[in-house]
Amino acid sequence: MIFQLSTAVQLQHKKEVRIAANFIIHAPPGEFNEVFNDVRLLLNSDNLLREGAAQAFAQYNMDQFTPAKLDGSEDQVLITEHGDLGHGRFFDPRKKQSFKFDHLRKEASEPQSHEGEVALRPWRDACDEALRAYVKDHYPTGVCTVYGKTIDGQQTIIACIEGHQFQPKNFWNGRCRSEWKFTISQPTAQVVGVLKIQVHYYEDGNVQLVSHKDVQESLIISNEVQTAKEFVKIIENAENEYQTAITENYQTMSDTTFKALRRQLPVTRTKIDWNKILSYKIGKEMQNA
Amino acid sequence: VRVIVRVCACDCVRVIVCVPSLCEDLLSSVDQPLKIARDKVVGKDYLLCDYNRDGDSYRCSTEYRDLYFEGGVSSVYLWDLDHGFAGVILIKKAGDGSKKIKGCWDSIHVVEVQVRAGAPLPVQTGINNVNCFYLPNLGNMDMENKIRSTLNEIYFGKTKDIVNGLRSIESLPDNQKYRQLQRELSQVLTQRQIYID
Repeated sequence: MIFQLSTAVQLQHKKEVRIAANFIIHAPPGEFNEVFNDVRLLLNSDNLLREGAAQAFAQYNMDQFTPAKLDGSEDQVLITEHGDLGHGRFFDPRKKQSFKFDHLRKEASEPQSHEGEVALRPWRDACDEALRAYVKDHYPTGVCTVYGKTIDGQQTIIACIEGHQFQPKNFWNGRCRSEWKFTISQPTAQVVGVLKIQVHYYEDGNVQLVSHKDVQESLIISNEVQTAKEFVKIIENAENEYQTAITENYQTMSDTTFKALRRQLPVTRTKIDWNKILSYKIGKEMQNA
Repeated sequence: VRVIVRVCACDCVRVIVCVPSLCEDLLSSVDQPLKIARDKVVGKDYLLCDYNRDGDSYRCSTEYRDLYFEGGVSSVYLWDLDHGFAGVILIKKAGDGSKKIKGCWDSIHVVEVQVRAGAPLPVQTGINNVNCFYLPNLGNMDMENKIRSTLNEIYFGKTKDIVNGLRSIESLPDNQKYRQLQRELSQVLTQRQIYID
């Protein structure tokens, strides 16, 4: 006997899987497992979830720049769209290796040699070395991965930085990511960067900071080492500026916007005397009577 | 903040699509951003929440102004209980968008006033609204101020601290780099021990 689900049920399943995938993709940093487990309960079908939302698991790790480590190495590589080789395998350009990545367990395995683009290697290596020093200098838990790829005929360097702190026992998680690109085809290049920060604090409450900034700067292309040095200088200046702006915004928000929404004291600068209000009201009504 | 608020309302709908039986429980236990509706008869705005939902329709009520908000919209809904009355006081204030920062403050205060049997009733002195008597007690409950201070100092302060813990504007002091090196070394040593065993 062949059992076929009716069209209506199939449509409902499709809708539910789409919703589940959406929840998963938007899980705050460090809370993928919690969201995944909650979504499992909602959907009540592990098969449906595994088949339909597999892409969402991969998408989440690539969006978040999830760091991965192969056994036997202390060095970490980032899972990003730029290193996606298909069939669940990712590229580690620093080690010239590819590996399989389990998106649910967040485990790397089955390393194989993988060359990447040889022509771009000197540029990639120079940028990687300069960036590593910068990341060690500014990110207590930072990881970076640099790719050299030809995209639409343009030789491009892509630098990815990630730093996170997960402290669920203290009810908070946070992650910052940045991605920087430039092409080496012209004497002057446009450096394009996007910086992202997400912080979730949920002790007796629920507060999230979600912020991003787009950056564009010019970069003169000379030799590999000098260009890498200038490239990282641009990154350092932009990321310092961004972090300063966020800190300043907190002050502005506290002094102006927050106050505009709800003052700590009334305009009169003294707390309302509720008994006075009552007697004014009684007085007014007695006058009108 | 605006994005998060919008996402919250959509998330509720998404959960209900997956598990329709949760609808009533969800809507009554998860606070949604307050919606503003217009009473065309009186020409005034009022606020919608679960308490005046009444199935799928809303009831209008008289407004209540507050010196703390310098504007905004407020609504109060009261209902009788067996021994007293209860009410919800709603306040919605949107920022004016100046200084390129947008925000919105929603307050939902739920109060319950229990009148003990045998307690003397407030003397009616020609006032129609007896509930005025309770006003000073309700008004002096300073929850909102406490929450506002907590939001400002703890929640915003804490998230700012977390951001500054993820990245340092100044070069990390050498002892932090040393600690990083220590961590890497101990990892290598641990792995070596495992091989020896």
